[in-house]
Parts: sequence; C-alpha cells; structure tokens
Amino acid sequence: MYALIIDDSRAMRSILRRIVTDLGFETLEAADGQEALDHLNAGRIPTLCLIDWNMPVMDGYTFITNVRANSEWRDITLMMVTTESEHGQIVKALAAGAHEYVIKPFTPDAIADKLELLGLVAKAVPA
Amino acid sequence: MTITVEPSYDDVQMLVDEVWTSFLGSEEPLLPGAPTDLAVGWSAAVTVSGEWHGMVSVELPTGLAEEVTRRMLMVEETLDEDVADAVGELVNMIGGNVKSLMPGPSVLSLPVVAAGRVARPSDSVEVCRLDASWAGTPLLVSVYVRKDA
Repeated sequence: MYALIIDDSRAMRSILRRIVTDLGFETLEAADGQEALDHLNAGRIPTLCLIDWNMPVMDGYTFITNVRANSEWRDITLMMVTTESEHGQIVKALAAGAHEYVIKPFTPDAIADKLELLGLVAKAVPA
Repeated sequence: MTITVEPSYDDVQMLVDEVWTSFLGSEEPLLPGAPTDLAVGWSAAVTVSGEWHGMVSVELPTGLAEEVTRRMLMVEETLDEDVADAVGELVNMIGGNVKSLMPGPSVLSLPVVAAGRVARPSDSVEVCRLDASWAGTPLLVSVYVRKDA
C-alpha cells in the first residue's frame, strides 16, 4: 500500500513519511502537483495522496482536479494536509474530490484518525 | 494613518505554541521571552493578500534554526538548504494560521527565507511582536500589516 506525499517542504515530507510509514504505508514523494502527476502518469498509482495546497509549479487543488478528471485514478484517496484553513477553501477542496482535510499543525494521531475513518488503517485497539 | 484589523498577541502566542509543540515536541516548552536584540541567523516570511494584507515573519539565531531543522528532519547534520526548508515550513504554518484568524478570503504566499533578516515592505507596520525562548535561545515572531496611505 503506497502513500504519495506531495509537499514542497522536504521537512514536511519527512514528517509525513515517518507517520504513514509507522501506519504501514510505503511512500513516494513529490515536491509539487506536477511531479505527483508524473508519478501517476508513469503508472505509480498510490492508495493515498497527502497533498499540500500551496506549492510552486502546480498547487494541490489543481492536482486534485487533474486526478478527478481521470477515471482510472478514481480509487485514489485524496487527503489535503495544509495550512489553508478558510472554510471556503476546505469546501472547495472537498467539492473537487478530496476525501479528507487536515490542517497544519497536526499530530500523528490526527493523521491516523483520519486514515482510520477512511478505512485505510486498522482501528487502534486499546492495550 | 489607520491600521487594518490585527491579530491579538494571545492568539499569535497560542498558535505559535501549537505549531512548536506539534513539530518540535513538548519536552522543551516555548516560553515567553524578553525583547532582545536578536542575532538573526535565519528568518522567513509569508505574506497574506486579499481581504486582509499582512506579513508574518520568524527570526531565529543560527543554532536554533539548525536545531529546529534537526528535529523536523530527524537528522544529525544539516545543510543550509535543509535549514531554509525547515524555517520556511515553520513560517508557512504560523502564517497560515494567522491568516485563518483574519478576515478572508485571502491568499497565502510561498515562504521567503533568508540567511539573515528578510526585508519587510516599507509600507507595513509591526502590530504583533512575540518574543519567545526555546531551550534558552531567543526567537521572534512578528506580524506586520499594511499601512493605509
């Protein structure tokens, strides 16, 4: 199960990589939406994309609209992970096809909870 | 001269603390600091444009910027490009959350990072200054708004 982490910050990609690796994902990375589309066009189709909004070259919103325009990619789960927290932008991203929206800063548990809701990771069982 | 709406000191302190704790851990808390003549090694800024116009900047001494980078990237050695990336992401998160407190809609810029102090627009005025200290080292977060002509 692959997660494609799309963020122009290497530090943020590193943080997200650690979180989703701990949750059982293998990872691919991209520094912008275009680089992420290049992965998909090359046949590297992830189960999950974690997508920043503000990036150079191609932003996360444009990436989502591109993914949703291609029916072959309809099974990919799209989760925005961004500092953009205006209500209008959240609505816009969800309307474009994002499944979930996480606002930075976040905790590892917040990411895990969202992935659990999406059915991508098993529900944690209290010890 | 009039100044547009500005974030409160308490709000800025709360969100900076949240960003800091989320990504750098809570063992070493971010503490209020006394205003000081900071030896700025690295700084970064984002601007907000739209219903609200402003700029948010973070200024750090070199050692602190490198420690932030080590913690975020979980590496021992840091390159300048790593430090620029980490400090840029830090101000991106702080700036994005300041934007969420202000009237919208507005657009957040990509971060501008400098070894040294980033320039602020000449038509802006500092409306919030958060002097803080982490692990005994001072840092500064500032919010500027555009002055009306």
